[in-house]
Amino acid sequence: MADEILRVENLHVSVEGTPILKGLSLTIHRGEIHAIMGRNGAGKSTLANVVMGHPAYEITSGRIYFKGEPLENLEVFQRARAGMFLSFQYPAAIPGVQVGTFLKKSVASVRENPPKGREFRKELNAAMDQLSMDKSFLSRYVNDGFSGGEKKRLEILQMLLLQPHLALLDETDSGLDIDALRIVAQGINEVAVDSACLIITHYQRLLDLVKPHYVHAMIDGVIIRTGGPELALELEDRGYDWLEVTA
Amino acid sequence: MMYHQMPIPPRSEHLWRYTPWPRIHPTKTDDVPSADDVIFSNDGPQVLNSIQPSQDSQGDIARAFLQAAGGSSSQMSLNDESEPIHINARASGHVAVGHLHLDVKGSAVVFLHISGEPEWVGLHITGNLHPNAHLAFGFINELDSNTKFLRCEDWQLDRDSSLEHATLSVGGFRCKSDLRTSLNGTGSSVRQSITVNADGSRHDDKHVEIHHHHGHTQSDLVMNSACGGNSHFIGTGLLTIAEGANKSDASQVFRNLLLSEKARAEAIPELEVLADDVSAAHGAASAPIDRNQLHYLMSRGLSPEEAQSVIVNGFLYNAFSNLTNKQLLEEMRTRLTVHLECELKR
Repeated sequence: MADEILRVENLHVSVEGTPILKGLSLTIHRGEIHAIMGRNGAGKSTLANVVMGHPAYEITSGRIYFKGEPLENLEVFQRARAGMFLSFQYPAAIPGVQVGTFLKKSVASVRENPPKGREFRKELNAAMDQLSMDKSFLSRYVNDGFSGGEKKRLEILQMLLLQPHLALLDETDSGLDIDALRIVAQGINEVAVDSACLIITHYQRLLDLVKPHYVHAMIDGVIIRTGGPELALELEDRGYDWLEVTA
Repeated sequence: MMYHQMPIPPRSEHLWRYTPWPRIHPTKTDDVPSADDVIFSNDGPQVLNSIQPSQDSQGDIARAFLQAAGGSSSQMSLNDESEPIHINARASGHVAVGHLHLDVKGSAVVFLHISGEPEWVGLHITGNLHPNAHLAFGFINELDSNTKFLRCEDWQLDRDSSLEHATLSVGGFRCKSDLRTSLNGTGSSVRQSITVNADGSRHDDKHVEIHHHHGHTQSDLVMNSACGGNSHFIGTGLLTIAEGANKSDASQVFRNLLLSEKARAEAIPELEVLADDVSAAHGAASAPIDRNQLHYLMSRGLSPEEAQSVIVNGFLYNAFSNLTNKQLLEEMRTRLTVHLECELKR
């Protein structure tokens, strides 16, 4: 099997004293796409946020390894520079900061040999064309007044430019129409070739376009079942109650 | 009324609550020191003529004091000006005072840059915008960090005229500004943006009055301040809509970003609406940096310091977003960028 990118071992996480993750384990290798499905409040977004290092989440026990190295001492920006990327469910708006300026700064911070000047613009134009994004996006303020679909496209644009080793995609498909979903899926597939991907979703429709190697069903802070793409179809068909009964 | 005849205004007055007159007066309140001239100059063909300063203090002690102190007094007449005009106001000596009047009959873009290292500077700017005149005015305060600065402005707008007014306030140690605009003719409008970057123990007090005397007039005020260190920013607004000034449309937004535990900011918009059929909105917010914004930028590889700097820069830039004149917008943003880059290198 290819290189190990992410290993989560028996992870317990609390938010303001409330346990959310209760012993979650997961390993993802390079080139693999994993999908996590579960009810609202199951802890899916918590997993993505805690892997990325959000300070609001407290790891009470368990460990997270990125490319074999423990993550706990790395701050959020250091994780990004190490090659981790989170596509946010609700990306923050930064009024007054133009998308073009922000992308340039971000690429310069994360990539080891960032493209400069014309080279950067060429790469940016190609990525924007791929995502059918108008160039006027670049002069708008980051996520300020963006529709749900525009926010998700900007997240995927960043992912393409930052070229992460691990992409965490938190409900990237929500708020997207069918055409936008297809475009976004194309972007994910491109990055997934040489990276590890963890897709958090409620719906099968994204997984029709981005074929996961593994699908995990999550209930109450733990992964209760792992299977292939057929599990996603079964979950869409039967819901989650039957898993609780089986467990 | 002359300055010496005026009583010291009490702190109960909205205008003088946070920076009382004795705190901004250059010496002791019964004293009118001999003032040096603020030297006005411009590189373009427009002529700055010497004139007698206005004797109308509007019953305001600051204006009366500036009249009594004397100093330089210049006027510029503007018609349709194809290129932006840059007026430099250079202050020096112990106390320096200048009066500037702009008479606008066409369309013009004017930038006033004030700089120098005197202990105290007073500036009174007045402007008449004739019917259908359009002025974009940028004020850039780059005074020395030890200078006390008193600034009064009075703008009179006739029918169908428009004023776009932007302030970048980054200089001076203790600053008090009293900026008044009267919308005297139907169809007149003012857009005003103020950006304040305060650090150390800088004290900056901005009072903005906009008076809708006629109907079908518009005003839009945005005031953003970023306060670090022990600095203190005060933004007070007075928006009046006179009886019968129907179909007036007015908006005021004050936002303060607090960058340290000791920084303070006040945002107090006030409305006096005497007409029935108007749209008037105001809002004020003071808060530290949004943790979600910080986290988002850090998740894109920016260090905590870089992320904070990007958020603050964006916040300050954003105050100018209500401007529509491109030359004004670009120049103000360029000046802000230069200032922020200099700050970063310190």
